[in-house]
Amino acid sequence: MDVDMIFKIAAVGIIVAILNQLLVRSGREEQAMLTTLAGLIVVLTMIVTQISTLFSTIKTLFGL
Amino acid sequence: MNIAGICALAVVTAVVSLTLKKYNGEISLMLCIAGCIFIFLSLLSSFTTLYDTVNKILSNAGINVTYITVLLKAIGICFVTEFACDCCKDAGQTALANNVSLAGKVMVIITAIPLYNEILNTVLSLTGGAV
Repeated sequence: MDVDMIFKIAAVGIIVAILNQLLVRSGREEQAMLTTLAGLIVVLTMIVTQISTLFSTIKTLFGL
Repeated sequence: MNIAGICALAVVTAVVSLTLKKYNGEISLMLCIAGCIFIFLSLLSSFTTLYDTVNKILSNAGINVTYITVLLKAIGICFVTEFACDCCKDAGQTALANNVSLAGKVMVIITAIPLYNEILNTVLSLTGGAV
């Protein structure tokens, strides 16, 4: 895992927040919601692999 | 990673997460979890040296290896439980966090039960079988 991952997630969050605000202001609430959902899924896929890496590392290290 | 790097990373993550929280709470939480995972993983790599040293000292002292295995398992369970518990608390789910904490405690006790058995056997052998 790299530190870049954290900044990547922050960047995705900021971009999604801005898009969400823009779409809400222009009256497209459904698209704003879908954008938020898409951002969430992208970040979730990034995180899930890292969580699995962490847990498997702990499992092998402590012999659980 | 050294301690200064970890501290700097934690502060930066906290600030960015706080900025994001107002607009995008879910991704803010994800960012926190990612920071936690990164710090944890960088700690675990340095944990192996500690483990090797403790193992060497114990083997030199002639202490049974099963004891240290149980101890290590308990530490691992504590680490995982604490991580999950804090993530749940960050997400605002205190009930879930408390249940995870309870599960961790039960698992640690179950892991340590052979040691209790050992102590009981030692006491029984000292008293000559009489309770």
